[in-house]
Formats: sequence, C-alpha cells, structure tokens
Amino acid sequence: MDASLMADALIQATDVGRAYRQGSATVAAVVEATFQLQPKDRMALMGRSGSGKSTLLHLMAGLDRPDSGSLLWPALGAAESLLPAKIALVFQAPSLLEPLTVAENVALPLLMSGAVVDTDAAVTAALATFGLTHLADKLPETLSGGQMQCVAMARAIVGQPQLILADEPTGQLDRVTGQALLDALLQHLAGTETALVIATHDPAVAERMTMIWRMDHGRLLADGQREVVA
Amino acid sequence: MIWLWLGGLIRERQGRLVGMMTGIALSVALLAALGAFLTQSAASMTHRAIGSVPVDWQVQIAAGASLPDIAKVLAPGVSKQQTVGYADVDGFEAHTGGTVQTTGPGKVLGVDAQYRLDFPEQLRSLVGNLDGVLVAQQTAANLHVGMGDSVQIHRPGLPSAEVKVAGIVDLPNADSLFQAVGVPPGAAPQAPPDNVLLLPLSTWHGLFDPQAVARPDSVRMQLHAGLAHDRLPNDPEAAFVAVQGAARNLEARIAGNGVIADNLAARLDAVRGDALYARVLFLFLSAPGCLLAAFLTIAVAASGGDRRRRDQALLRIRGASRSQIMQLAAVEAGVVGVGGAAIGVGLAALISSMLLQTTIFAGSAAVWVAGAALAGVLLAQAAILITAWRNLTLTTVKDARMALGQERARLWQRVGLDFICLGLSAIVFWRTWSTGYQVVLAPEGTPSSSVDYIAFLAPVLLWLGAGLLTTRLCLIGLGLGRDQLARVLRPLAGPLAGIVAAAISRQRRRITQGIALVALGFAFATSTAIFNTTYHAQTLVDAALTNGADVTVTGTAQAPASAALQTLRALPGVMAAQPMQHRFAYVGNDLQDLYGIDARHIGEATRMSDAYFAGGDATRTLALLARTPDGVLVSEETAKDFQLQLGDALNLRLQNARDHQYHSILFHYIGIAREFPTAPHDSFLVANAAYVSEQTGAAGAEIVLLQTSAAPARVAVAAKLATAAWPGIKVTDIGQAQHLIGSSLTAIDLGGLARLELGFAVLMVAGATGLILALGLADRRRTFAILSALGAKPRQLGVFLWSEALLLFIVGALVGMLTGFGLAWMLVKLLTGVFDPPPELISVPWFYLLALIGVALLSVVAAVIGALRETGVPAVQRMREI
Repeated sequence: MDASLMADALIQATDVGRAYRQGSATVAAVVEATFQLQPKDRMALMGRSGSGKSTLLHLMAGLDRPDSGSLLWPALGAAESLLPAKIALVFQAPSLLEPLTVAENVALPLLMSGAVVDTDAAVTAALATFGLTHLADKLPETLSGGQMQCVAMARAIVGQPQLILADEPTGQLDRVTGQALLDALLQHLAGTETALVIATHDPAVAERMTMIWRMDHGRLLADGQREVVA
Repeated sequence: MIWLWLGGLIRERQGRLVGMMTGIALSVALLAALGAFLTQSAASMTHRAIGSVPVDWQVQIAAGASLPDIAKVLAPGVSKQQTVGYADVDGFEAHTGGTVQTTGPGKVLGVDAQYRLDFPEQLRSLVGNLDGVLVAQQTAANLHVGMGDSVQIHRPGLPSAEVKVAGIVDLPNADSLFQAVGVPPGAAPQAPPDNVLLLPLSTWHGLFDPQAVARPDSVRMQLHAGLAHDRLPNDPEAAFVAVQGAARNLEARIAGNGVIADNLAARLDAVRGDALYARVLFLFLSAPGCLLAAFLTIAVAASGGDRRRRDQALLRIRGASRSQIMQLAAVEAGVVGVGGAAIGVGLAALISSMLLQTTIFAGSAAVWVAGAALAGVLLAQAAILITAWRNLTLTTVKDARMALGQERARLWQRVGLDFICLGLSAIVFWRTWSTGYQVVLAPEGTPSSSVDYIAFLAPVLLWLGAGLLTTRLCLIGLGLGRDQLARVLRPLAGPLAGIVAAAISRQRRRITQGIALVALGFAFATSTAIFNTTYHAQTLVDAALTNGADVTVTGTAQAPASAALQTLRALPGVMAAQPMQHRFAYVGNDLQDLYGIDARHIGEATRMSDAYFAGGDATRTLALLARTPDGVLVSEETAKDFQLQLGDALNLRLQNARDHQYHSILFHYIGIAREFPTAPHDSFLVANAAYVSEQTGAAGAEIVLLQTSAAPARVAVAAKLATAAWPGIKVTDIGQAQHLIGSSLTAIDLGGLARLELGFAVLMVAGATGLILALGLADRRRTFAILSALGAKPRQLGVFLWSEALLLFIVGALVGMLTGFGLAWMLVKLLTGVFDPPPELISVPWFYLLALIGVALLSVVAAVIGALRETGVPAVQRMREI
C-alpha cells in the first residue's frame, strides 16, 4: 500500500474483528475487516440487519474497541480524541436532547470540544444548510421526525469534522425527505475534505455515494475493495 | 398472567421494588416504633406518678360513724390501711434555755408505729428516733426544742398536757396530709398548719378521746389507705377513671359515713394531662416523618413513568384491558405493601429493643404495630395504583410537555394552596397563641379531658406550605433566572454552563419536586433535632429549678448548711458554692417560704433564668435587688392577692433568733419572681440574705448550692461524706431531681425517642436527596447515553450531573433548614405547656445538623458517582439504549 496514502488515511483497519456474547453464545459482529478511509471519501455501507454495519461504524468512531486486528486513525490521532471534534455521529433513532432547543442541540459538539469559534454563527450556518433556521428556538418535542433528523445532521456538520458517520440517517424518513436531507448534506460537503460514511439499506441513498461496501455476517465483501457505482 | 408479571417484576424491576419497599418500611417502622414508645411512656408515666403518691386515699370518718365498720368495708379494695387521728389544739408551749416559747394553733396527729412502715414517704426523721413524740421541723424551730425537751399541748376545753420530744421530723407531704377532706372541687387549697406534733396512736387516744367528747368538732379520724398499684391500667387516663370509680364506689358503700380524699386520682388527674401532652408531642414530631416517608414512597413509585408507560403500552397492544393493567399494578402494590410492611415491623422491633428498650408486640403496642402495617399496605396501594392510573389515562404528548415544565400551572398553584396553607398555619398558631398555648385541657377533678388537635395543624400546614412555596419559588426562579444560574454554574461547567442552565431550567418541574422533597426532609430533621435538644436542655433547667443547682446541700435552722460552706467549696469538682437562706415569713396571715440570697453572686452557683422573673430579665432584676437592701421579690399570686404596687412597703413577720418570736420587718416590693431554685410553685419570697440576717439575728443559710465541673452525682457523694458530721443535712443532685420530677412531662426520658427520630430523620434526608437524585438520573440514562455517544467526556457528563445534584442539595438543604428553624420555634411555642419554665431560646444541635448535611452530601455524592459509573458503561452498550 502507498505509504503516503496510509499517512493521509482517516482510518486504517487491518483484520479488525469484534464479537459479542449473547447469553452463552458468541456473535461475531465484525470479522477480519481490512479497509482504509481517505479524506473526501463518500462511502455507503450496505447489508442486511444484523450484518455488522452499526458495529463497524462504532469501531470507526472509536466508541468501541476491536477484539482483534489493528484499527488506526493516522490522520486523526488517538481514539480518545476523535469525538466530537474530528468525527461526528448521526443515529437512526431520534437523538436530540429533549430539554435543549434546536440551536442548543446543534451547538453541543462545539461546546463539548471547546472549539474556539463563533458558536452562534456556526450554529446558524449549520441550521441554514438544512433550512432549519426558523426552528432554532424550538424544542425537539415540537419537531417532526424529519426535522429532528435534519437537526441531528446539522449537529454533525457544525464542528466541521473530518469524518461523518451516519447510521441509517434516512431510515425513518420518507423518500422525498430523505433525498432532501442527503442533497443538503452532500452539497455542504462538496469541496471539503470531510469524508462521509453512511450505513443504509436504501439503494437510492447508496447510489449517491462514490463507493459502496457491503457487509454480510460481519464480513466486508471483497475485504474493503472499492466498488465504484456508476 | 399475574404470576408471569410478578416474576418479570422481580427479575427486571427489583431496584424500583426495593426502593418502594424501603419507603413503606420506613413509614411502618417509624409509626410502629413511635406507637410502642408512646404506649410504654404512658405506662411509665402512670407507674412513676402513682409511685410517688404517699397515701392513695384518706378516708375521713364522719362524726358518729364506726371506724372499724368502715375499715372492714375498705379492706377488700386496698392493700394496706392505717388509722390516723387529727386533733386541733390551741397551741404549744416550751420552756427552754430560760425562755418560754409559745405558738399559735396547731395540730396533733396520732399515728401507729406501723404507719411509717406502710407509708414511708410521710415522715422523714431529722433528729432522734421515730418511736415516741415527734415534733415537725418548723414547730421545733418555733419552740426551740430538741430531743428530751418537754412540750405542753394546750387542748381546747381541757387542761394542757405535757409530752417529751423523742425526735424531730420533716413532713414532706404536709399539703396532702393536712388537706381539707370533702371540700368542693376548685376550693382554695388549705395551707398546712405551722405547728404540728405527732403522738403514738395510743397516747393520742389517751389525750384526745376526752377532747373528742368535749369538743367533737376539733377531733377527726381518718383511714389512710394504699391501693394495689399493679392492678391499675397503664394509661393514665384509664387509671384515673378506674381509681376515681373505685373511690366513688366506696363512698356509695359506706353511705355517707365517710368522705374520701382521693390523692391517687388527683395525681393521675395531673399526669393524664401530661400524657395527653405526650401524645400531642409525638404527633407533632412523628406526623411529618410519616408523611415524608409516604411522599418518598410516592416519589419512588412515580419515577420511571416512561418505562411504566412503555410497559402499559405493550400490554395494551397485546390486548390487555385497563382493568387488567390496574390488576397487575395492584399485584405490584400488594408485593411492595406486604413486603415493606413486614420489613418495617421487623425494623421497628429491632429499633424498639435496641433504642427504646421495649417490645412492640406487647399489649396495646401491638395495636399500633398492626395499624402501622395496615397503613403501609394502604400507602403502597395508593402510591402505585394512583401512579399507574395517571400513566394509563394521561396522553404521552401532554406528559412529555409536562416533563419540560411548559405545562399550565397545576391546580394547587392556580388556587394558591401554598399561601392558603401558610395563612391557615398563621391563623391556627395565632389562635393557639391567644389562648396562652393551651393545647391540652384536662380539667382537674373531672374525668373528661381534651386535646386541641387543631393546634397540631399549625406546624403541619407550615411544613406543607413551605414545601409548596419552595416548589413555586423554584419554578419561578429556574424559569426566569436561567442566565443567573448559568453565571453561577460557569466555574463548574465552563462553556457548557449555558446549556446546563437551559436544561435545568426546562426540567424545573422535576428538579423542583426533588428540591421540595429534600427541603421537607431537612425541615423535618432540623425541627425534630432542635425541638429534642431544646426539650433536653429544658429538662435540665427543670431539674435544676427543682433541685436548686447541680448539687444542693440542705440543712435546718438549727444546723444550717452554710456551716459547711468552706468544706463544700473545697471539694474536688465544685466550681462555685453559694449559701441561700430558706426561712419562713408571714405575709399577712399567709406563711410563705422566703429565700435570702446574695443577689450579686447567686448566679455563680445556679442558673438564673430570665424566665424566673417578670419582665424576663434576670440580670436586671437581681441587680435591682442587690441595689435595694430591703427589697423583696414576691410571687405573682402574692402581688395580686395583696394588691401590691412596685415600691410598696411590705411588712413581713420573720422569726428572730434571739427570742424565737415572729417580728415584723419592713421590706419594699421591687418585683415579681415566677420561679426560683428549690422554691414551691405557688407563693414564695426572695430577699437579700444580708438584710434578713441583720433583721433576724441569724446569719446562717439553710441551703448551699453547688455548681460542679465534675459529675454531680460524684460531687454529691463527696458532699455527703463531708457533711456526715452535721445532723439533719441532706444532699441531693440534679440527676435525682430529674428522676423524681414525676408530674412533669419533661420527666419522660426522650433519649430513646430522640435517637429514633433523629436516626429516621437522617435516613429520610439521605433518601430524599440520594434516592430521588439517583432515580431521577436513572430516568435520564438515555440523555446521558446520547451525550456520551456524541463525544461528551466523563468530566462533561459530570458537569450535568453535579450541577443538578448540587442545585438540589444546596437549595433543598438551605430552604429545609430555614423552615426547620421556623418549625422548631413554632413547636416550642405551641408546646409551652410541656416546659416548666418555658425555654428562653431554642437550643440548636449544631453537631447533628452538620452531620445531617454531611450525610446528605454523601448520599448526593453516592448518587452522582453511581450515575457517573453508569456512564462508564461502554458507549456501544449505551448507544443501544438510544
């Protein structure tokens, strides 16, 4: 592998494995996954439910540790420093904090990372990206499911992370809303160095990415070989 | 289905079940243990009170009636009886030391040798022996006679008789011994005679049977009887009714041939008032504790509403009806209620045997235990079923909005229930204040008694009103003061301060409920602790007032204790010794105790409380007395009876040492003394010892008061040894006095009760802070899981947790302790009747309050650390909860 590519890689995974115990049985969620993720990558991670997509995203975010193999973030640093400044996570389920307004929810990563930026301006810009400015002072309980997911996406981009990991971000949205969310996101990321990994069942979402990885029973098909979708 | 549900509850919800059971157990244990203590203390009061009655019944035989016949009727109902003869005489005369002393009218008693064995409290030997002719101490002083001297008895209508004195005695219960039997209730008490001689019954008959013929109105016979005390009911009220009923039955059976002076019923009459005070006291002190335990249980039941709603939704999706869901809740309530009640009863049994040295399963205490257990079961049903019903009927959207405090004000807020409670509390308090804090009414001589239970509402309403007002103010404060809160939190939360303040502000409903519970817990603990400490301090004041000082050495006019002053002063452990004269003086025809003191120094040996003097300023009153050599302080009753005005000249008659006659001495009335160490409650005088000495020619002081730095009992033993050579000297210490104060409620040893209540109070406070906080944090695990998955570091999660926890603790503790101080003040005021004299200030147990704060803080730390450890669960596992 090209050494310069390795040094620039956001993630370098070699034979990464992760298993869980379920009662007396052991379930292999990720098996010998080897891949590399570079800046600007647009990756769709596809597979059936239970194929290991979420576990792989958690490993990539540094939220979980592999049982075997090597997982490094050459361009990002140590696992403890990844969230929320360098990597942002978006979840499938509603993940807004109920007592905080939309703007406060979006500001959270900036405040937690201690970023020296104009928080209000950054939040306004992130909300504007998804057309949410008018909802800034609303509480999550007053939003629709689509609006909540848009806010979660705005929260992901507000700190300008180098990698966004989204777990089924459009899974609970109708197709039109999902497409609009994706449009706004990709438009925002265009021209930036930020890489994007989206775990999805939806081929329409996957088609918008430049690469698709498939997972089956914890294995990355073709061991992370890039499959360019035309 | 029920067994399946029950199994699931035990497997999956054991934490919440245990929490609710703990709340129920605390309520039951507190109620049962207090009930057992109340029952035991009532029995103890009865036992001690009747134990101090020297003669239970004095049956005065009507003229012409047959004494043996009445004795025969009396015998089956009593355990002992003795015949006593009473004869009025014109006076006594003695020739001693070349002088002749005569007295005014007196009485001669005839008692059998067995009398002093059956009724040992009636006679106390001072000099000589008890076989033969005995002279009362004051009479001996008046006649200036001692052992072997002759006294002439001037019998009305008969020649005088001469007897030889064998001993000098004190008659400690002269008031009851010489009481007028058969006078209507409410009649003014008759003062005991100033001059008394006691003869063996046979001698008495020899001298006074002829007088009974010549002047039948001057001779009376009485039967003195003692009842079997172990057959009386334990409760003072029931014992009073039983004894009074037996006395009336006897009066009916002897059909007008005798009248009974029922000393035992009179004693129980006084004690039943105290017993009612005790009941009120326990109500005052325990009701908030039980209510708090109930609130805690309801709060625990109400927490986890989200999970319960989810459970209910799943059940309903699978076709369960509302009644089936309520049945399942009832099963849960049954398990919690029965389990909690069983644990509570066990806890009460343990606590009672360890702290109160009593069993909860004996006699009437068992009724309390059963009642407490039933209350626990009902509380569980109420707490769980009401919560389940609310969850079942309220919409989730509405609930969610309520969770963020944007809902419409609740009914109690709209109607201003907090202000209503506080207003009513003030009105009830004012009403009780206007009656002079007459909370307990037990009219003497009548079997009816009553407690003004309405007065009990004042502190309860204050407590509840303060809790509700705290909730209202916190809601307003957290709603409007978000920016200020952020500023306060900035040192702790840094850049997250604004977010944390916003989160707290929007969750103010839940947080203020926690604050209110913590405040109620602290208020209960603080008020209980302050009241108990004040009560304890006041028992010491009461005992000091009764005994005079830590140790009191009492001599006689012939052998004054001041003769041993230097010896006593030199004893190890004695900090100060002050002599105090105890003489008698006539105010008009009224013989009163007179205390001659050194007004400048008396305070060195005994506490001069402000409450002792009208005007409430001991220092000023004593300084005035010191400046006015012929000044005298009189009792309120004397000032009123003799219509005295400040500065009035007052001629008192005191006995002069030279001629042993009473001579008029000019004093000036300068103030009122309500109480004074060793003085009786009704009438007494306080004057300057130097002036009394100068005017009477007797410089000795009958009493020496000792203030000790060592244990009073130990100093008393040393004082007894040191004064063994002086005849007739008696040494008492404050501990004995504490034990002997039978008529006062302050005689009850509240030590065990105080430990019990203070222990519970600590548990309540720890529960209100730690448990409520822990449950609140557990309910928001999802929030912390999201924060953690977004990249919040443990320190940042800690900011959210600590901010909320410290807010809850600081505001709750502060408001609660302030409310507790107010409650304690109100309790002490309302229960003024308990204290004799009333306390000047409340006593604050600073160490306990600091320990309370420490325990609460520890429970907060434990709750937050527990929640932080929860956030330490791998992020992936937490994310699955999202």
